[in-house]
Amino acid sequence: MNLEKLYNKRTKKKLGQNNSGMLMASIPVVGFIIFGMLPLLLALAMAFMYVPGRGDISRAQFAGLENFKEVLGDHMFWKSILNTLRMAISLPICIVIALIVAYLLTKNIKGRSFFRGVYFVPYVCCAVAVSLMWELIFNQNHGIINSWLGLTRETAIPWLTDSDTYTLCLIIIGIWSGTAYGIVLYGAALTNVNKSLYEAAKVDGAGSFRCFFNITLPGVSPTSFFLLTTGLIGALQEFTRPQMIGGGEGAGPNNDGLTIVFYIYRRAFVYNNEMGSAAAAALILSVLILIVTAINFVVSKKWVNYD
Amino acid sequence: MIKARKKKLNAKDLIGQICIYTALIIFALWVLLPFSLVFLTSFKGIKEANSLDFNWWPKEFTLQGYEKVLEYDMGSAYEGVPLIISGFINTLWIVIPSTILGLFSSAISAYAFAKLRFKFRDKMFSLLLGTMMIPGTILLTPTFIIYNEIGWVNTPLPLMIPGMFGAATCVFFMRQFYLGIPTELIEAAEIDGMSYFGIFFKIMVPLSVPALLAQALLGFIGGYNDYLGPLIYLQDPEMYTLQIAMNQLKSYFAGRNVPAMMAATVISIIPTIVLYIIAQKRFVEGVATSGMKV
Repeated sequence: MNLEKLYNKRTKKKLGQNNSGMLMASIPVVGFIIFGMLPLLLALAMAFMYVPGRGDISRAQFAGLENFKEVLGDHMFWKSILNTLRMAISLPICIVIALIVAYLLTKNIKGRSFFRGVYFVPYVCCAVAVSLMWELIFNQNHGIINSWLGLTRETAIPWLTDSDTYTLCLIIIGIWSGTAYGIVLYGAALTNVNKSLYEAAKVDGAGSFRCFFNITLPGVSPTSFFLLTTGLIGALQEFTRPQMIGGGEGAGPNNDGLTIVFYIYRRAFVYNNEMGSAAAAALILSVLILIVTAINFVVSKKWVNYD
Repeated sequence: MIKARKKKLNAKDLIGQICIYTALIIFALWVLLPFSLVFLTSFKGIKEANSLDFNWWPKEFTLQGYEKVLEYDMGSAYEGVPLIISGFINTLWIVIPSTILGLFSSAISAYAFAKLRFKFRDKMFSLLLGTMMIPGTILLTPTFIIYNEIGWVNTPLPLMIPGMFGAATCVFFMRQFYLGIPTELIEAAEIDGMSYFGIFFKIMVPLSVPALLAQALLGFIGGYNDYLGPLIYLQDPEMYTLQIAMNQLKSYFAGRNVPAMMAATVISIIPTIVLYIIAQKRFVEGVATSGMKV
């Protein structure tokens, strides 16, 4: 009798745990099904459909591979991929600078928390403000760069409106706003590098450069890998800065600011009747991201050290 | 003898130290100079700001830029309130409720994933992790169509409701945090007859306040700085968030009144910077843990 009661009580408790657990855990899962899974399925379907107007799905028609043909046959799409990759040059530069700065911050220096605090500020700064800030700096008629170079109205360089300099400027802006995140992550990673390795190396007479390349660099390689992977996924979806700097629907000089997401945005929300082809372009981009990430993971086996 | 050696070492260290400080100061200037340029330009007169004859310090110190921005109330949601302030209020209305509710959803499910046993737990968790793999861009057009069908376009709802269900990344980090809390604590509370919801609210939440704060700050900043979402869904200037209002201010002021544009920029970044200064430690913690998932 007593045993049975105890058994009942235990199963009841288990059941309670099962129900409350399910209930608690399901909130984000339900959200994901409604706002993630459902749209994802629709996206896959839309890529093969002609959707008239601004997304009038009730009059959509099956279009086979037409959308893909249109996107892949559009030289602007290929240009947008090239533009995106060119802007992504800022990523490796960001990672290297972040590592160097974070490494210097581990040295015994005064005002460390001040420097740390300053370096992180660009991270909380919105891309809109960053764009406006750098438009001021690169401005042809009153910008500080042209003024520093001693140029006059006639010789002033149109940094952001000339195709030769536009991408370079965007890379510089990318570096300015992109290092903060890496500095914080490397800062955390560097404190976790095994101290006894340095002492052993010192005993063996290794210099600080050898220590850096043989101990520090492999020690923080998981962080480098993380920054590279997430950074690439982000860089392939760059949008705000070129959109703001281009001004409205224009995409910079010679369309150099037309990134892939900008291209998709224009098809979907600026042009008419192009929701389907926008979905096709987004699908191509997702596959591209998947491939790049997979390559990243495969290559990482060669250089990332998880000890 | 020992003293002399120490001195020699110090000389060598000194050179190294000077190099390190120089590098750190140059990098700090690289970060700060653009800010100070924006700040100082916002106090210049229109003519001075438009001249190639550049000065850091404004020759004549004027607040006309700020006045012009705070006079511009076209499309503002409230009568007589400048567009930039109405944008700021709209942003807060959109971001704060969805951040708080979203954090609650994420935290309670993180607790369940970390500490409770239930059916399909691991399957549900891997499903959630799968969401982190989906690039946001692919959802751009289908979500627009769905929200259009249910009449959410040109309302703030698409920017608020999905976030209230929590975010996979946040669930993941909170789960990591809750895994570190000893299970004995929960068992003891269970014996005392506390319900699982009670345990969450009375034990888990108080223990995780710092982690929750860090996540809340990151969520708030993310929402505050969001650009693409409001750009697509808010067409009526009365609903514009701060970022989109900035876009409109830019098309009005750029080329016409540079100091006013810079004044708007200063106003737009002040809230996040103040928040950052107040809660610097939490911010950095939140960001640092975001990199620990590898």
